[in-house]
Amino acid sequence: MENLLANSSEPRTQPVALHGAVLRLTDIEKVYQTKTIETVALNRVNLTINRGEFVSIMGPSGCGKSTLLSLMGLLDEPTSGVIEVDGRAVTSFSDRELAGLRNLKIGFVFQSYHLINDLSVVDNVEVPLLYRPGMGSKERRKRAVDALDKVGLSARTGHFPSQLSGGQRQRVAIARALAGGPEIILADEPTGNLDSVMGEEIMGLLLDLNRQEGVTVVMVTHDEHQALKTERVIRFFDGSQVG
Amino acid sequence: MLRHLFKLIWNRKRANLLLISEIFFSFVVLFGVGTLLINFGRNYRLPFGFDSGPVWRLAIRAGQGQKMPRAELDDVLRQVQALPGVQAVALTSDNTPFSFNNNNTRYYNHGLQSPITNNYDADDAYARVMGLRLREGRWFQPIDDASKARPIVISQDFREIMFGKGPAVGRAITGGNPAVDPKTDQYRVVGVVDAVRMDHDFAAPEPALWKRLEPFDTTHWETANVMVRVAAGQGGALQEKIARTVAGVTRQWSTEVRTLEDERLSKRRYTLVPVIALSLVSLFLIVNVALGLFGVLWYNISQRRAEIGLRRAMGASAGAISAQFLGEMMVVTTLGVLLGVLLAAQFPLLGAFGMPTGLYAAAIGAATVAVYVITALCAWQPSRLAARIHPAVALRED
Repeated sequence: MENLLANSSEPRTQPVALHGAVLRLTDIEKVYQTKTIETVALNRVNLTINRGEFVSIMGPSGCGKSTLLSLMGLLDEPTSGVIEVDGRAVTSFSDRELAGLRNLKIGFVFQSYHLINDLSVVDNVEVPLLYRPGMGSKERRKRAVDALDKVGLSARTGHFPSQLSGGQRQRVAIARALAGGPEIILADEPTGNLDSVMGEEIMGLLLDLNRQEGVTVVMVTHDEHQALKTERVIRFFDGSQVG
Repeated sequence: MLRHLFKLIWNRKRANLLLISEIFFSFVVLFGVGTLLINFGRNYRLPFGFDSGPVWRLAIRAGQGQKMPRAELDDVLRQVQALPGVQAVALTSDNTPFSFNNNNTRYYNHGLQSPITNNYDADDAYARVMGLRLREGRWFQPIDDASKARPIVISQDFREIMFGKGPAVGRAITGGNPAVDPKTDQYRVVGVVDAVRMDHDFAAPEPALWKRLEPFDTTHWETANVMVRVAAGQGGALQEKIARTVAGVTRQWSTEVRTLEDERLSKRRYTLVPVIALSLVSLFLIVNVALGLFGVLWYNISQRRAEIGLRRAMGASAGAISAQFLGEMMVVTTLGVLLGVLLAAQFPLLGAFGMPTGLYAAAIGAATVAVYVITALCAWQPSRLAARIHPAVALRED
């Protein structure tokens, strides 16, 4: 098993593949409506994420970055507009179909890791595989251990999240995102809770995943320095794409 | 997924201990009440072993400190017997069916001890008046006047315990009462009747034994209990006549006439009051436990919103989230029920209260089903609530 961390400080290789759009957002609007206030979170966003790209999304707080990531991750529905995954519009998909698509195609990495404290590291990594129909426990365990091996945590399988550092927790979260073999990883400020050394380590891991394994990565970040390492930076302001 | 749920519950065992305890105690309460109710239900469907319908109980009292001579009592019985509408009369002891009196002891058959057995005194007409169903031998007859040992008729359950498959009629048993001369405490079986339930509607059959009241008995009683079989449709008018007839013999004696049916209903009410009270208290406890479970689950879900959001992001559908929380509750319930079953199983294993194993098994089954239904109902709404949590919102909250 190839350990991605072993290469993290070496020169980046070229992306594995770049073939067509894996995610396309067309005329997306997201409006949050309360009894008294209507808040436009996203305003006519048109965005295409190509297969194998590493894209970072930047903008000030409240500009709609996380909303955009939720829409891309099929966790939320746009008020209007069309989201396509692999060329298929998901507008009419049922909750079950959307869940299945998320499980197969998308891996998530969050700023606050979102590990389940009552589960061991390997059990946390197995979580997405629990929702994959027909996958047995042995296969789940093998995939989880492989994913942990990739992020350099194969020695920590039996540990619990509380026994890990922030950087290790985020690596577990990345292993969890990888375990299902997703085409896209959506990372919401993955280095936001980490110090600069740990941040660099996690960023290196994501870059390696993108370049060596061809995983498409969309990362929301406030960190200009990290964003500049990615192939494309998309900037948002007040719900609109500005660059 | 089941293994995952067990792992989650096990890793949260401290947090789940209270829930498991609540479910365990609910199970124990339901098992106890269930055993009582199922026992009552099973007994209720059993025959009484006698015909209580057209039988009245006539209590004749001689008055405070007074005794009634047997000759005068026999005169009363003859006159009551002669009344139109009266089919037969029989003298018996005061532990009449459905009364609050009882008289019981143990008997011995060559060292074999009987269980506690109800004793009844009965004259030669008693079987006909009460509609007892004879299985072997005969009821008391005048030829028993010459019997050395006191003649008895026994119930079928007493017969099975004391004589097994061997012959019972003609066999002798002793009373074993240290206060009574052993020579006079001997009894000879002349007949066997069906097992009887004479305590109340919900009582189990109990071993019973009838001792013959001899016609030449010179005991002077303070109260005589007379069972009167009447023709169908008889009512208050005949009761009046009976009272007047007794008064005609001697005005000092007072009478009370009640139908056995009234006595049965009265005893039933008396028996049901504590059972209903116990059931209501149990219901109250169970409702409290259910509300507690509901609250704990609600709180649990509010504490796990981020986890719910995460699972949704990882590919769980709303239905899968709902199923997970229901499943977790079922796992917790299973652990509580297992502990409860472990305790409940001791009752049949130790032969507690002399109830059959099948009854305890039915009560365990009923309590198990009830606990699962209660916990499933309590978990249903919180689980649906969990399924409705918006993943994007839940993930952003943390």
